[in-house]
Amino acid sequence: MNRFVIADPKLCIGCYTCEAACVHVHQDAGLQAYPRLAVTQTAQGTMPVQCRHCEDAPCATVCPVNAITQAEGMIALNESTCIGCKMCALACPFGAIEPHGTSPMSQQLLDIFGAAAAAEPAEPAPPVAGDGLAPLGALLQWSPGVRTVAVKCDLCYFRADGPKCIEVCPTKALHLVDNQSLAASISAKRRQTVAKTSQALSAPAAEGT
Amino acid sequence: MSTVKTVCPYCGTGCSMMVHTRDGRISEVTPDKSHPVSQGELCLKGYYGFNHVADRRRLTTPLRREGGAFVPVTWDEALDAIAAKFAAIRRDHGPDAFAMFASARCTNEDNYVAQKFARAVMGTNNVDHCARLCHSSTVAGLAQTLGSGAMTNSIPEIGEVSDLVFIIGSNTAEQHPLIARHVIRAQQRGAKLIVADPRRTEMAEKADLWVRVPPGHNIPLVNGMLHVLVQEGLYDKEFVAQHSVGFDDVARAIEPFSPEAVERMSGIPASQVVQAAHMYGRARAAAILYAMGITQFSHGVGNVVSLSNLAVISGQIGRPGAGVCPLRGQGNVQGACDLGALPNVYPAYLPVTDAAVRARFEQAWGVTLPAKVGLKVTDVPEAIERGDVRALLVFGENPVMTDPDSGALRQQIQKLELLVVMDLFMTETARFADIVLPAACWAEKDGTYTNTERRVQRGRAVVAPPGEARVDWTVFGALASRLGYAGLNYASAQDIWDEVRRVVPAPFGGISYARLDQEPGLSWPCPSEDHPGTPILHKDGHFALPSGKAQLVPVLFDPDTLPDAKAQGFSRAITGHVVEHADAAYPFILNTGRRVYNYHTGTMTRKSPLLEQLAPEERIELNPQDARELGVADGDFVKLTTRRGHTIARAWLTERVAPKNVFSTFHYWEANSNELTNAHALDPISGIPEYKVSAAKVEKSTAADAKAWRERAASEYRLGVERATNVLLAGRLQR
Repeated sequence: MNRFVIADPKLCIGCYTCEAACVHVHQDAGLQAYPRLAVTQTAQGTMPVQCRHCEDAPCATVCPVNAITQAEGMIALNESTCIGCKMCALACPFGAIEPHGTSPMSQQLLDIFGAAAAAEPAEPAPPVAGDGLAPLGALLQWSPGVRTVAVKCDLCYFRADGPKCIEVCPTKALHLVDNQSLAASISAKRRQTVAKTSQALSAPAAEGT
Repeated sequence: MSTVKTVCPYCGTGCSMMVHTRDGRISEVTPDKSHPVSQGELCLKGYYGFNHVADRRRLTTPLRREGGAFVPVTWDEALDAIAAKFAAIRRDHGPDAFAMFASARCTNEDNYVAQKFARAVMGTNNVDHCARLCHSSTVAGLAQTLGSGAMTNSIPEIGEVSDLVFIIGSNTAEQHPLIARHVIRAQQRGAKLIVADPRRTEMAEKADLWVRVPPGHNIPLVNGMLHVLVQEGLYDKEFVAQHSVGFDDVARAIEPFSPEAVERMSGIPASQVVQAAHMYGRARAAAILYAMGITQFSHGVGNVVSLSNLAVISGQIGRPGAGVCPLRGQGNVQGACDLGALPNVYPAYLPVTDAAVRARFEQAWGVTLPAKVGLKVTDVPEAIERGDVRALLVFGENPVMTDPDSGALRQQIQKLELLVVMDLFMTETARFADIVLPAACWAEKDGTYTNTERRVQRGRAVVAPPGEARVDWTVFGALASRLGYAGLNYASAQDIWDEVRRVVPAPFGGISYARLDQEPGLSWPCPSEDHPGTPILHKDGHFALPSGKAQLVPVLFDPDTLPDAKAQGFSRAITGHVVEHADAAYPFILNTGRRVYNYHTGTMTRKSPLLEQLAPEERIELNPQDARELGVADGDFVKLTTRRGHTIARAWLTERVAPKNVFSTFHYWEANSNELTNAHALDPISGIPEYKVSAAKVEKSTAADAKAWRERAASEYRLGVERATNVLLAGRLQR
């Protein structure tokens, strides 16, 4: 069975520590610096939403380049193979996949340079490449940035300690569901079922005596 | 690589954290498992809010404004210039022409030295700080009713003991996430939760009972709860009889607040008033948690006193898990108040007007001290207009962003003869300064901080300050020497703290650096080395007032007109109303505050790429119903206008706010809600502004208008900042 991380909205306080931690560890690992879980605040409750690592994953089915595969108990997305077609984001029933890339000038850079730069007189247009006669076509223009690819929870596969979000959540609202924990939960509920059933069946008799 | 244990620099929770360094820079922050409050957890600001420490925009040298630009000067040049001007202004206009804004971001030692500088060196009580804008109504309110204006109980008790938590006017999950964690722990034990808040906050979401209080209508709710408790006899008659005075007057004052009357006055359903009263009244140990949603009103003291009435009449005080818990916002706002960075009191809240007290400090400090109560932060702008205040020293505060009606304040501070700002960065306030001094930050100095539960904790230097940046207290010492006073020449932070312990032993005598290195902080009062500290105040119903009993004070309220206490036959009462109401021209009510990702004006948090990525811009909270009527979609730009000014930012369509209510923060200079708040709706006792209620107008805006507005905001707030910083950076690169 695939493992996955899930949150308990009764415990989640919407503090976004998981999102920040998620960006941090993925950035350090050289992956897209973008949160792979999305704290979602609604009138019905708040919790981070992330990949459920479905056994029959629709994202993997629709991916045209096999960038999404099942491997080692998870649905893995290879950010190098991904072509950014966004089909997986459409197919995902949980809203757990999002296309992301950085714009040529990030908000962070704008805040550092933008205000001052905006106040200076505009620079004359830079000389264009080639024969210098016509501006380059939009397709040929180049600016720095990160290409857009699909981003989703990868269970921090690169970390020995497992998903970072679980570790930093201050209310312990996040936990990992795997074979073991699911089996333990099912077994506990079965025992409860027996207790409740036997209570229900014996109660009228006890009253009658 | 090394690791140092210190205190988180952000909110008043006072979480302990381990700061790891590599090559002289902070590389990582991890939680401290042994700490009784944070218990091995931190929030996102604690983990990821440290980038400002090594940010290349830190100030590294004193700057003097010459013409329109800042030029680097030496410390000697800067200090000589400041001291000469201070002396001249004092000679020509008297000591009260000087005022100081101290800092709740700085250590107890910094604040002690700062207020001593104002009083002993400059000869004025014109020293105040941002507590004026957050919990001055708590300090004034609880001091007169309970004898101490501080949180009565400790944070861990909420998680371990309370069986009812009543959160009113506190967005605990976002502003004090690690206190919210204790509330969640209480719920897991089976405790019940009441939340009273205009917004559907995260804690409201988790509450057993959520009362949507319209902004400015807390008193009807609390008086209504008291009405039910007294009517039904569901209060602690023995506690009231033995440990309080003034019950009859309060009983008469709450008489008109029947649940039905409360519903008519505020729209809060009568059934909710009854349910809240029953839940609170029947609890074994009930803790009241409150913050700016109680204090920041023209009737802030009335709000606070009504809560203290509720706790005392219910006997919910002086016991584990009970009490009145003001949650303080800044890391050391409790300490800055405790150490006397207030215009009316010396350290330990000893009044400057008391001749015996004054004589004691005159002896300790070796000078004659002024008897006149000084100016509050909120008095200073008008005092500048009148020409009464001519020199202002601000350290570790950014009033241009945080104080109400920013537009007016920006004009006023330019009328000063001398503005000195000491800070980490070229802040929005510093750009108006004549002299800017580079300060060492929390990670670069030793000292103590006092969290919201009165726990004095040890902060430790982790890295070296950048360039020539200095620790604040050393600067006051250097200025004092130039002005002919030798009493501020300390060798270390511990040296200062030991003087504090000698001068005001009642609260701090037993809190030594040696003990703080062994223990996870000590809660004052802690008079002697063998005293364990005092996590719970007012134990066994003993209150630090002359009568030894709690003082119950009637709170009268009418939303529209201020009640006349004398006409109603009350010799002592607090009265309240709401200054601005929605009308045809301004049909919305604007509520202001903060969100979890950022801290105040963002001078620190907005230097963290991670936090900035999660929350890059202001989002004005707008109810979807209003949005439909305005034709505004989520993320569209809206223009928010009050009688003071306007801002333009994106709308966040959310049911967190009620219809005809909007919420905006003061984190972003790009759309600062203090362009909109009212500097003239002040609480008459504490001087706190009514940040939480402004009549407002909301209109759909466009991307083009938003761009134009941002450019204007940039010129008003930032242009000089960025230019000055960039010029300096360029200069540094050339050197």
